[in-house]
Amino acid sequence: MAIHSVGYAIPVTWFLTVGAMLFCIGLFGMMVRRSAIGMLLSIELLLNAANINLVAFGSYLKIPVIAGQIFTVFVITLAAAEAAVGLAIVINIYRNEQHIDADKISAMKL
Amino acid sequence: MQILGFYITGYQVAFVILAGITLASAAMVVLLPNILRAAMFLGLSLFCTAGLYALMNAPFMAAVQVMIYVGAITTMIILAIFLSNRVMRIGFAQAIYNPLLAAGAAGLMFLFLFLTVVNSVWVKSAVAAGPARVGQDVPAVAQALLQPYVFPFELASVILLAVLVGAVVIAKEDVDGDS
Repeated sequence: MAIHSVGYAIPVTWFLTVGAMLFCIGLFGMMVRRSAIGMLLSIELLLNAANINLVAFGSYLKIPVIAGQIFTVFVITLAAAEAAVGLAIVINIYRNEQHIDADKISAMKL
Repeated sequence: MQILGFYITGYQVAFVILAGITLASAAMVVLLPNILRAAMFLGLSLFCTAGLYALMNAPFMAAVQVMIYVGAITTMIILAIFLSNRVMRIGFAQAIYNPLLAAGAAGLMFLFLFLTVVNSVWVKSAVAAGPARVGQDVPAVAQALLQPYVFPFELASVILLAVLVGAVVIAKEDVDGDS
């Protein structure tokens, strides 16, 4: 029972395919969502798909590198930062305009 | 375990279940008109991704995923939804905008990515590796963070501080009233 072997008998292509599917679902969400919070949710899905790929490549290399996990930590940190600032902006917009429809936000348009 | 002539390991069964829940709840995230339910499904999707990390022999990443993504980011998003609650009362046609075109574009993107994945030659040796693989556990992550990656690590903490201050300043209610 090789508990510590990398994804015992799971090919790396499975993880990469799941990452690609998740990325495309997030891309779809970015295109169809109107509310700004819905777009933020889709961005989290996109970042998550990238993280899956990073960790998979880090673990499946012949000599496993820790950099995959380290960069995923940084991506998660920046995702938290991005979500905080994005939601603060959304709340501010909601307070000023009483909606968060990304198509109708035009206060900064020329 | 042998099913229909294929040799199936428990790891593969766990992968299929976790990946299935991840993808299904991700689809819910982008398709549900009620944004609060979408955020809940985002939490489920991220939680099952933590299981995928555990399958990839990255226990630290699984813990970080549960603590930061599921614990912090999802909670923050749900709180923001509560603060802008008008979005909860809209129908599918108002929430989802031009789905067919977007599905076509996303499908093309997936086709491209999938063909790239399938047609590339990946390292085979690590996949079949049996013995314990060192250098991927929590002490290794700690050493990497404090030795070669200490500068980006400290930079990340500075960024988090700046973001904390910035988010408070942006979201703070204007007392004076001038914009």
